[in-house]
Amino acid sequence: MKSVADQSNSTGEGRDRLSRRSFLRGSLGAAGGAAALAAALSPLRMLDTEDYTVEKFLQKHYKEMSPGDMDSVLDRIRGEVEKRYAIRPELRDIKAQDGVEFVYALHLGRCIGCRRCVHACVQENNQSRSPEIQYIRVLEMPKGSIDVEQGRHDYDRPTVPDPDHYYMPVQCHQCANPPCVKVCPIEATWQEQDGIVVIDYDWCIGCRYCEAACPYWARRFNFTEPKIAREELNPNMAYLSNRPRKQGVMEKCHFCLQRTRAGQMPACLEVCPVGARKFGNILDPESEVSQILKNKHVFVLKQEVGTLPRFFYYFDEDYPRNTFNKPLPVLPGGSHG
Amino acid sequence: MGETPKHRDEHDQRSVPAQRSWAAYCIGPVFFALAAWFLWGPAIVELPIESTPKVNAAQLTTAPRREILGNPPTIEIGGFKRTCMDCHQMFPPRDDPPVALAQHKHIVLNHGINKQCRNCHDSKDRNLLVLRGGETITYDQVETLCAKCHGPTFRDWEHGAHGRTNGYWDASRGTVRRLRCTECHDPHNPRVPAMDPLAPLPGPHTLRMGESHAEGESGASHAEHRDPLRRAIHKYIADERKRAESKPEKSEKVEYYKGEDSE
Repeated sequence: MKSVADQSNSTGEGRDRLSRRSFLRGSLGAAGGAAALAAALSPLRMLDTEDYTVEKFLQKHYKEMSPGDMDSVLDRIRGEVEKRYAIRPELRDIKAQDGVEFVYALHLGRCIGCRRCVHACVQENNQSRSPEIQYIRVLEMPKGSIDVEQGRHDYDRPTVPDPDHYYMPVQCHQCANPPCVKVCPIEATWQEQDGIVVIDYDWCIGCRYCEAACPYWARRFNFTEPKIAREELNPNMAYLSNRPRKQGVMEKCHFCLQRTRAGQMPACLEVCPVGARKFGNILDPESEVSQILKNKHVFVLKQEVGTLPRFFYYFDEDYPRNTFNKPLPVLPGGSHG
Repeated sequence: MGETPKHRDEHDQRSVPAQRSWAAYCIGPVFFALAAWFLWGPAIVELPIESTPKVNAAQLTTAPRREILGNPPTIEIGGFKRTCMDCHQMFPPRDDPPVALAQHKHIVLNHGINKQCRNCHDSKDRNLLVLRGGETITYDQVETLCAKCHGPTFRDWEHGAHGRTNGYWDASRGTVRRLRCTECHDPHNPRVPAMDPLAPLPGPHTLRMGESHAEGESGASHAEHRDPLRRAIHKYIADERKRAESKPEKSEKVEYYKGEDSE
């Protein structure tokens, strides 16, 4: 027994001594570890240190900012935009108006799928041109059903509309019961008094829970630094809407908040050549949208998921001279062309 | 003696790490090689971010589909603006049965069963329109005339369900511009023609970033090229595209409505 103890002692002492082998192994490991650490940190080389200021780090949540805080933040963002795009933007923070709740209505029988709304939106709201980010998807769907599974947004035809299809633009529905807001872990997105669901791009951490929660695929993620040509930047900006975004934040349709809160129509409506899009204040009983909801057949997309959208689709029932020559197929589900 | 087997077990367990497989020695170097490759590896592709195919600014106009000639309709002849009556006052109004036009031959009337000029145009004052009972209205009240036949459509237009409204939704802050019938429909041929589509762009697709027609152009510059995941996605998309292109697609004849006479 004694001899065994001696043996173990002697081997223990042997390990404590720095042998050539263990030195080499240790230094190789240390050098490799350092290299791995450097590699892991290498994306930091691409950081622009001016983007990470103390001021920005300490910026408060939108709802907690005082008017003074907001002014300084707006100034900072103006400076950033000017530095990057050489344009001094008219950046404002426009608050929701009392007695206003926005509602959108879209005439499915009118929409011809020309995608003008998609591109007017991109231009108005400073979406990334590369990679492309578009808020509106125009679904081309076979007539006779509202099966979005059959909808295609990448149709490519020499002319639209196609007589066998109808077109259904989908964008953020500004739900009254928004699942995207519920899942946000940090309240970077919320619903405003006028019904618009907004995002504070400076608060968003890019977890993309909201994108997954949205049943309409209305939210978009900036996977890379969004790129917009200088001459294409729209200088009419609002803090909660179309100011330039950063890589790693979510964005989505906000009913052109910078326009609509100033009384104007959204950009997608302005370019619609057929007048399929209708926008207005639902709290005003004389507004177009109020009248449409009162007088026309309206429906919402995916009513069964309980999101209570503020975006309504409508159509003319039994319209005597529909847009297309062929009579619409009469199907059990009802037609709507 | 009873302790010996246990002793041996402990000894065996301790000796297991000493018999590492060759794979264990490979993991480290492979890891470091990968790290070095990420750090110093060649910039294989600049993630070729293409700019959106240019949308023609004229296609995104907010202007009405048709330009109306004003009230009363005015055209320029020899540098002077002329209304209908500038000429028609020289001719006596005709009440005889409709005859083939000697003038205005460019106007082809394709308005359903409404086939007579003087159903809408006043025979005495050509700057005015005429209703069914002989009552005259000006050209900026044209919807009243249209409503005589298109009642439900007029009702929808009044409510806002039919037609375009541009400008401001809030009348207290700007002009609400409700377009009239003739700003979209040609009264002589009221069916709205099919639009030229925009350059058809694919819809939003997050994995499509970097998909490019400009694959040959590599000016490896910045952040994008170091991401192997993106490179893999990029390659996958390119392969898919190649495969799709090699597959001959049957050409589809697209028909769209051409107006009533075409059938």
